[in-house]
Amino acid sequence: MTIPGGPWPVASLDPIARARVLGAAIPASAFAEVVLDAPYDTTWAWVSDLPHAVPRFDTQVRRLEVRSRWTEGDAERLVITAWSGPGVPLGFDVWLEDGFCLMRGRHRLYVVVMAARPEGDGTRTRFAHVEAVPLPGARLMRGALKRAVDADMRNLARLAASGF
Amino acid sequence: MDALVRALAPYVSRVCGAIALDRGDDAMQETFIAVLRNIGSLRDAAALHGWVRRIAVRESIRVARRREVPLDPATLPAVSDSVAAVDIATVLEVRAALADLPPPQRAILVLRDMDGLSESDAAALLELPEGTVKSRLSRARAAFARRWAS
Repeated sequence: MTIPGGPWPVASLDPIARARVLGAAIPASAFAEVVLDAPYDTTWAWVSDLPHAVPRFDTQVRRLEVRSRWTEGDAERLVITAWSGPGVPLGFDVWLEDGFCLMRGRHRLYVVVMAARPEGDGTRTRFAHVEAVPLPGARLMRGALKRAVDADMRNLARLAASGF
Repeated sequence: MDALVRALAPYVSRVCGAIALDRGDDAMQETFIAVLRNIGSLRDAAALHGWVRRIAVRESIRVARRREVPLDPATLPAVSDSVAAVDIATVLEVRAALADLPPPQRAILVLRDMDGLSESDAAALLELPEGTVKSRLSRARAAFARRWAS
């Protein structure tokens, strides 16, 4: 299927829309979207430092370590390990690019999406967060997932307002 | 799922942009939600592109009809970012000409003249008789030509 370039109008799917798509498409998922009181560049620089940022706003992550990282086109790929407590650590494959982060748990146990784009005059940031358990029967977990992402976004909003 | 979105985005962005115009971003989002929710029903992987095309056209017409937005001149300069190599005047003219057409006519024009489908394939995709596609295409092209001549 070849589409010639040219003068036809082109639509776009910004990082927030990409997160909305994944949140809507995965059956057992929870989605939250907030506007943070911090500029996009500051926000994304802080968030994309995953080992530092994620344990500070994600209520389910106590510690996160990067095992390896390399680049693939415009994206950075990482293998990370996250601990939610004293239990078994969970490994994630991460796709990280400007404004978009997809974390897929090993064996597809868990999916996390974070996305951001500048909002309004650029002094604020729209941020979207998805957590999903793409397993049969996991719809029952939706309520718990929704409470978790809402709590994460409240934490992130508080951190943004205080300058991270 | 995200890999599929990345792979299909360049094509879907063109279909949705040309049919839904200012609502193209919404149409693209709705297209991918429908694609990802229903990908399990696709039996033949080779039919993926045709199947996605059908969804993108359907969603673009639906979104464009939901709320027709008048052409906003303030949004026009942004068009040049995506098609930098093309004469900006032509870009604006094409966009303005498309905006004059109802979404179903835009869809036929896009399928025939941008995507290169035959009239019979476009008719099958839109679930319309071939004669209807032929007459709508004729009206769309005439409207385009009028716009160019004005």
